[in-house]
Amino acid sequence: MSKEIHKKLDRVFFQNLVVHQIRLDYLENLTGFAWLILQPLILLAVYAFVFSTIFKARIPEAGDIGFVPYLAVAFWPWTAFSEAILRANSSIIANGALIGKVAFATEQIPLATVTATFIMHMIGYAAVLLMLQLLGTSIQWFFVLLVIPLILLMWVFACAIALVTSAMQVFVRDVGQILPPLMTFWFFTTPILYSASYLPASIQSIAQWNPMAWFVGQLRELLLFGEINFDTNSLVLVLSIFVFAWGSIRFFRRFSGHFEDFL
Amino acid sequence: MDSLVRIEGVSKIYPRVHKPRERLKAFGSLLFGRKPEHGAEVLKDINLEVFRGQSLGIIGENGAGKSTLLKVLTAVIQPTHGSVTTNGNIAAMLELGAGFQPDFSGMDNVRMKASLMGLDNRELGERLDDILEFADIGEYIHEPVKHYSSGMVVRLGFAVITACRPDLLITDEVLAVGDESFQKKCIRWIEQFLKDGGTLLLVSHSMYVVQKLCQKAIWIHEGAVRKSGDVFPVTQAYLAWHEFRRAQEKEMRIMAKGDGAYYRIEKLILADSIDGVLPEFAMGDDIVAELTIYSPDDRPPVGVFGIVRADGTPVYGVISDNEGATPLHLEEHRYSYRLKFEGINLLPGSYSLRGHSMDPEGVRVFDSRETPFRVSGNTKEVGYIRLPHEWLD
Repeated sequence: MSKEIHKKLDRVFFQNLVVHQIRLDYLENLTGFAWLILQPLILLAVYAFVFSTIFKARIPEAGDIGFVPYLAVAFWPWTAFSEAILRANSSIIANGALIGKVAFATEQIPLATVTATFIMHMIGYAAVLLMLQLLGTSIQWFFVLLVIPLILLMWVFACAIALVTSAMQVFVRDVGQILPPLMTFWFFTTPILYSASYLPASIQSIAQWNPMAWFVGQLRELLLFGEINFDTNSLVLVLSIFVFAWGSIRFFRRFSGHFEDFL
Repeated sequence: MDSLVRIEGVSKIYPRVHKPRERLKAFGSLLFGRKPEHGAEVLKDINLEVFRGQSLGIIGENGAGKSTLLKVLTAVIQPTHGSVTTNGNIAAMLELGAGFQPDFSGMDNVRMKASLMGLDNRELGERLDDILEFADIGEYIHEPVKHYSSGMVVRLGFAVITACRPDLLITDEVLAVGDESFQKKCIRWIEQFLKDGGTLLLVSHSMYVVQKLCQKAIWIHEGAVRKSGDVFPVTQAYLAWHEFRRAQEKEMRIMAKGDGAYYRIEKLILADSIDGVLPEFAMGDDIVAELTIYSPDDRPPVGVFGIVRADGTPVYGVISDNEGATPLHLEEHRYSYRLKFEGINLLPGSYSLRGHSMDPEGVRVFDSRETPFRVSGNTKEVGYIRLPHEWLD
């Protein structure tokens, strides 16, 4: 049996990949950058209209903060997370020409896509938080210090999922068809548009292990209420994410040497 | 000696991946750590070692597995069996424009490519001027690569490679693109690189380039090593085989009207040849040929001798009645011509001796026959024939 050779991750190359990805996806035209903020903003307006005006949804926990800030604080990170995974999914195939001709650590490609998407959406997130503040919501700016590692952990989680799905996508093209509805399902089962307390008790015990529910819960508590709520469950979740990330890299490398055969 | 690349017992099987079910199965077997075993075997048990300072040419037909071998060597793909060990800094040019992003400027792509080859920003900064000078595409460097001609892409790609100063340079037929002056520039660069102790692995269809740049050669045929060793015997054997194959169809058309012909050739032989063995001569040997013709009216027919390359290109021909030669009357109805070529000046390769029979008036050709032979020798001359020459001061 042959030894598996793994190329090292290269910092400079990875930086270049991220910068290129950002330029390609967002900066090639001016409107690309504008849409980065506008698109989630419009979606946010649609959800806000549908839920607070048509469904007359009231979220007791939101108190006098109001529905829109309550939604916005969770909605932006979710958009980054979901878009990163969906974009990264086809990244291996899109870069097939490079993979077939040059030996390098292929995991850098989905990782760069996830990273680029996160960077751009976090700029949008900061802008939106600032906007909320200007419109009268009091954002707990001090807790941003804790939000940053939280977002980084979310980035790790997105990277891990992207490694698994993008590797599978090379072999089973159906992944690209299944993934978007799955992400939509995940979106609606995560308390983003509503509060976790709306879930039936039977589902709540399962839902507390949804990492994304934990993420949006933490974000709301930190940014809107200035509360730190880190219990044993949280610790288990954080550790699980790291174990999953480690496993996903192993998973990816098991296949990455054979991508060229299937591209 | 310091071994830069060693591959042992390498096979590569490309799995069958057309149907979704096959892909799913391959995914499953990889997941459990097994490699797909069923598919097209493009490399079969290849052993190869390249030492520091050596230059090795890889030759073979299209589809023989040369590019796959390079991909295995550079770890772009993993072999199904066998092991690949590499040392030192390897730069591979499997395709010079690979990874160029068409929407970005040449400069952006140089940065990208250089980082892909392992240069950091400081090293790139130091060598950027050299790269731009080598590529020599002027202000186009700030234009998007999609506006480049294919030649410009190649120049830029090669220029980045030159900046990487690899221990081992691997190139796949890249010298075939680009204009002539740039090709020469590349060859000069590679020659200097070799002179400075660099190691080269070159895939090319140009035997001229292979002989010029490589000391050793390996001939890959249908995924296996057919012949390896010093560059001359290997390239000559390959060329001979190639010409022979191309000639086979042609031969069928030209040859032997045989029994139906009026002045029929009965025999065309090279002196001292043994049945079933391809006659081989060294440059400068004498060749004696004999042509026996059956003449139904017992008048002496005209005989023609000719030498052609194995692909049918005529090299030389001579007709008996133009030179006043008369045949030997062996017996009734049977005439024979004997001809000696003295100190043949043919360059190494595969040739055929042709004999033709004509009527006694020399008006038309009645029959033809051909017998192959080889000429061997060590020379860097090109063409079919050595012309006497001297270099003047």
